[in-house]
Amino acid sequence: MKLSRRKFLAASGGAFAAAVAAANLTSLKAVAESGHGDAQTGEKGEKHIASSCEMCVNKCGFYAHVVNGRIKKLNPNPRFFKSRAMLCARGNAGAEEPYNPERLKTPLVRDGERGSNKWRKISYEEAFQIVAQKLAEAKTKYENRSSVAFFSSEGLQEGSFQMLAQTYGSLNTVRHPSLCLSSTIQGWSSVYGVYPDADLANAMFVVMPGANRAEALVTPDSMDFLRYRPKGQQLVVLDPRFTNTAAKADKWYPVKPATDMAFMLAMINVIINEELYNKDFVANMTEGFDELKAHVQQYTPEWAEKECEIPADEIKWCAREFAKYAPRSVIYPGRRTSWYVDDVAFRRACAIIPALCGCWDVPGGIVPKSGVPLKNPDIMYPFYDMVEERLDVESFGEFDNNLPDDARKEAGLPTDSVAYLGEKDGSWIRFREAVLRGEPYPVKMMMVYKQNFVEAAPNRAKTLKMMEMMDFICMIDIQMSDTAFYADLVIPESTYLERWDVVHSLAGIWPIATFRQACIEPVYQTKSMFEITGGIVDEMLKIPELWDDTDEEELEYFKEDFVEAILHAPIQDYIKYQVSGFENGYEKLLKDGVIYKTDQGVYGQSAKPGYRFKTRSGKIELTNVKYPDKGLDALPVYRRARQPKDGQFRFILGRHGWNTHTGTQNNEFLWEIQKENTLWINSKEALKLGIKNGDRVVVKSSVGEQTVKAEVTEKIRPDCVFYAHGFGRVSKGMSLVYQKGASQAAILEDYIEPISGNAAMHETFVTVSKA
Amino acid sequence: MATKKFGIVLDAKKCLNCKACTVACKFENTIHPGEDDYRIWVTELELKGTYPNISQEYQPSQCQHCENTPCASVCPTKATYKSPEGVVLIDYDKCILCKACMTACPYDARYENVHLHAIDKCTFCYQRQPEGREPACVETCPTRVRVFGDLNDPESEASKLLARNHTYQLKPERNTRPRLHYIK
Amino acid sequence: MAAHTENHGKSFLKSLIVNNKDIPAMPFIILGLILCAVGGFAVISVFVKGHHEAYGVTRQVPWGLLISSYAYFVIISTGIAFIGGLGHAFGYEKYAKISKRIVVLATIVLLAGFTQILMEIGNPLRMVYMMISPNFKAPIFWMGMFYGIELVILAFELYLIFKPNQTEADHKLAAVAGFLALLVGVLATSNLGYVFGSLNAREWYHGIYFSTFLVVSGVTAGAALLILVHTIVYKGSLPAELKPSMVSLGKLMGGGIGVMMFLYLWKMLSSIFTEPGDAYMSVMSLINGPLSFNFWIGEMLLAVILPLALIVTAKGSIKKLSMAGFIFLIGLFFTRFDFVVAGQLPPMRKGLAGSGVITDVAGFAFYSPSMLEWLVYMFGFGVFFLLYFSAEKFLNLETESHH
Ligand code: SF4
Ligand code: SF4
Ligand code: SF4
Ligand code: SF4
Repeated sequence: MKLSRRKFLAASGGAFAAAVAAANLTSLKAVAESGHGDAQTGEKGEKHIASSCEMCVNKCGFYAHVVNGRIKKLNPNPRFFKSRAMLCARGNAGAEEPYNPERLKTPLVRDGERGSNKWRKISYEEAFQIVAQKLAEAKTKYENRSSVAFFSSEGLQEGSFQMLAQTYGSLNTVRHPSLCLSSTIQGWSSVYGVYPDADLANAMFVVMPGANRAEALVTPDSMDFLRYRPKGQQLVVLDPRFTNTAAKADKWYPVKPATDMAFMLAMINVIINEELYNKDFVANMTEGFDELKAHVQQYTPEWAEKECEIPADEIKWCAREFAKYAPRSVIYPGRRTSWYVDDVAFRRACAIIPALCGCWDVPGGIVPKSGVPLKNPDIMYPFYDMVEERLDVESFGEFDNNLPDDARKEAGLPTDSVAYLGEKDGSWIRFREAVLRGEPYPVKMMMVYKQNFVEAAPNRAKTLKMMEMMDFICMIDIQMSDTAFYADLVIPESTYLERWDVVHSLAGIWPIATFRQACIEPVYQTKSMFEITGGIVDEMLKIPELWDDTDEEELEYFKEDFVEAILHAPIQDYIKYQVSGFENGYEKLLKDGVIYKTDQGVYGQSAKPGYRFKTRSGKIELTNVKYPDKGLDALPVYRRARQPKDGQFRFILGRHGWNTHTGTQNNEFLWEIQKENTLWINSKEALKLGIKNGDRVVVKSSVGEQTVKAEVTEKIRPDCVFYAHGFGRVSKGMSLVYQKGASQAAILEDYIEPISGNAAMHETFVTVSKA
Repeated sequence: MATKKFGIVLDAKKCLNCKACTVACKFENTIHPGEDDYRIWVTELELKGTYPNISQEYQPSQCQHCENTPCASVCPTKATYKSPEGVVLIDYDKCILCKACMTACPYDARYENVHLHAIDKCTFCYQRQPEGREPACVETCPTRVRVFGDLNDPESEASKLLARNHTYQLKPERNTRPRLHYIK
Repeated sequence: MAAHTENHGKSFLKSLIVNNKDIPAMPFIILGLILCAVGGFAVISVFVKGHHEAYGVTRQVPWGLLISSYAYFVIISTGIAFIGGLGHAFGYEKYAKISKRIVVLATIVLLAGFTQILMEIGNPLRMVYMMISPNFKAPIFWMGMFYGIELVILAFELYLIFKPNQTEADHKLAAVAGFLALLVGVLATSNLGYVFGSLNAREWYHGIYFSTFLVVSGVTAGAALLILVHTIVYKGSLPAELKPSMVSLGKLMGGGIGVMMFLYLWKMLSSIFTEPGDAYMSVMSLINGPLSFNFWIGEMLLAVILPLALIVTAKGSIKKLSMAGFIFLIGLFFTRFDFVVAGQLPPMRKGLAGSGVITDVAGFAFYSPSMLEWLVYMFGFGVFFLLYFSAEKFLNLETESHH
């Protein structure tokens, strides 16, 4: 075992070294010529440096216009075709991040009660020592490395943080997808084996259930659906709220929340019964058509109309139009889909429709993502004895997914295990539940990289309770987020404009890879996560108790091949290795900020007959083959959802284009666009409650309440209310939004989608009254 | 073409109300945050109708670079002037801050820039002209609402758009002959 | 006296200095000093804070209290100069009898007005560019010209009236200067109407109305101030020879108010019928909007109805006339303020989300003057009181008979 691992390691480690050496030779020359070599030296003059944005997940490329060592402006990189060479409001406002008066400037250790906002400044070295010490304490005390949980947020430095988690050996890593998109990934993968994209630049008929591409920007979809919209394209938006996307739609159906699946099932019904489907495609590429056909007979448009309040004729029209334009028709898969407790089933229903009509892997259809081939060194971390399985896997017995109408209500707070857990992602809510119960073992320490779960996860009170149970919480971030506010040690990271980040392939129809180079010197001598990991690992290596449950020889290899070769080497070496498959890859990156094989859309890789899909049957599974093994429905079964009672509203979430989650509100250039959020309430309902525009109202759920200004509007269904994410903050370190507006986390109840483990955040009912 | 005539053709129907243009303008032109401090804005026009039959449009706008220029004619020191391409510019050193131009402008396009100690407004990012770069708001827009170009050159994208589409200008009754053309 | 050993100029100046014990100037000088001190503090604060911070004017309403106070003072000044011109140049005996006071008063009120515009303009030093690169199309350029020339003419007049041993040629020159002061004053004031009238964006100011109205109300105000000042200086008991002058000024004032009423009527009516235009909004802001208190109480009651009633019923009572003048001058402040602000309350863009424009429910922009604006206005009064009553105290402002 050890030998074979070592062999593999030697091979990859050798390749790593060789590639870096080769790249160094060419790059030195190139750097001298291109003038980018002085990227880090600050000083006088103007320059334009290619890098990529970190204000949201899209990582759009830009050229930083640097004047006398200070960022003046970020301009879109014309080569960054994935974003269609744009930079959004946040991307532009990012230029302020290094200079934000409230950014973290030095490591801070708590000097008072948690949350008292009393801190003592310490050096990075001290901070690293504290972390190493605490990690050692946890290991000795609990004899289980998994007693330390590692929470992280998406980003190019997340990998550096994972290196730390893996060096320590905890299996409890909790990433963001289960507060976001894990249900749509699961739903679409259960049909196609992958989570594909929709080709909005070529589609002629688009159904967007709930996705708000005009405001929650996803590249290139948000650009394409207006900018490259083909002539005659029809856009149908289902959303209880009149979003900016709905404003652009040809048809807006204010669908009754939690019933979108009825609409989809009825579409399937029409497509099958009117024989509008693509018979060849269904015969050659799919599995389980007959079962599906039998299953959907119950779901007539007339039945669906009663459920979702969209007229049967409209549903029929959609089905027929969809089939008419196929294969240039799509049901949009969406991204943040943490909506309902049956979200995976709903996404399955969505995914089945394009499969029936053969809208697969062709321009204008549903297309699997392609990537840019990059090399990544295989790092072999030591095996440790003192490690236990993930906390959130099957620890409370099987979860019964077949919830009858009432049981769904009763089991409103499912705490059982998740059917398909992302191995490294975990299920956030499920995880917290297990920590709170302390079963099957205690988790007593948290390392957090930029995940602001205090405001991001439903039921803030519970999150804070979980934090209270911790011996030690260390947060790495650029501002005093709400989670940092309750931490014991806060370590500042450099902003994305001040650091080098590894290369990342942005998969999609137009795959492109990007990275980051420092556009300016760190304004406050801060470090990147890569350097922080290096610093902590160095300190860890000084503590023998941390290494007594692993093989000595393995440890030596680890030190040599990882600590020395990677952590102690400049991160540029890592980058060079990643792009060593490209001619002059590194130089291209420095100059262009991007690397790619083609700037054309990639289609048709999986449309060939005989292609094996990553499903159990190797085909597109209209009827899922593996689900029944876990007691799950093979076909999407509609179960009537709970609906708010009289006097209650369903609280729905969303955001606007100028903010990302909870990370951007404390930037003055974005804050001035929206200074606090407001509760959208339908004008008729407001009238009934005597609420006028601008009145302060109390929004109350079973877990909390918030006071916020009312925005009386026509733009929302009468049975729903909404306010945007990211306001009503608890951190005094974010003074622009501290206690301004209302928090979502405070009132959201913690429901869960049991197949994917995604949070179900549109299941909370609230009352609204004048404050 | 003898002289250039700069202008912008906008397709407001594509506007997401994302505010990328307003933020981009602030950085390109060093405009600090502040209630009155902006060269460019994106208005949410009145919502039409009642639930569920409603519609809404957005209107991005800025200085119209009027050919018939009310702000320039009232400026006592010629601080406001026109470039050869018809871009209405301000010589900040000459601005006495009498604010006559602000009151004269029918589009509320001007504001007092505290840091410049002068009146300021959209310049079509004139500083970018020598490098032939597009204005910041044009360049950064996710959906390319604005197309900037030489309206005297029939081959420019802007001219072509203007020729191909029905367009309108804001407040035509003011007889300012704006250089911003909106596609109907 | 040692004065004989001093040079000629100094002795000339010295010969001017008197000490008028019976003029109750001291309280006003002290008031002036206090206002100057408070106002001076405000002036310094404005420079420390910067205009933008210190003043309540906004992007939507860029012209506020200080433009009104500027207009308030300078138009009174040209009104007085107008009356002086009537006396000097056209031989209106009744006004010629008070010509010295007229010139001094006109000059000092003009200076008070200049303090306001200097505090209003953000970069007064850059006004040299009005000379280096003048824009002849710009009414503000002409405003600078006319008021500058007016000041020069008044200064010349001052020299002439205080010159000892006046000759016949001096009288002729004074007549010419008086006529020029009248002419340039009328031009300056009507041009001020044009400063507003030339604003493409602001319908309320368009047309000839304000140029006319400002001149008429200015002459009216000049008369009011002259009556008031004389009443103060003579502690209510005027020498018999001045009474006819006052009565005549009272008539002038009454006539002026009459013409103002006539102008108001047609301006209001014609604006109401421009609905839904901006002039309509402006008139509504006066009649029934944010400026309605100013309009009804200030402009109508104080500047029209009460003074007119007092004048009509005065029957030669100087007391009533001076009361009318006093009330009118208070009311006139509202007239000027409303004139400046009403035209700017209709916003150029609607106050919709994202527009950056903030409006009230009726769609009007907001403006309320800041404390510092009020104090700078007080500074103007301080300068007026201090200088004018010092002049009364230390100079001989009695006009001797020509012959
Ligand atoms: S979409 Fe905006 S915030 Fe996200 S990466 Fe692109 S520019 Fe940055
Ligand atoms: S950047 Fe473009 S889409 Fe965004 S608000 Fe401006 S004009 Fe509209
Ligand atoms: S829009 Fe206003 S500032 Fe721009 S040119 Fe026209 S009048 Fe001048
Ligand atoms: S052209 Fe330049 S100055 Fe004008 S609004 Fe656009 S970004 Fe601002």
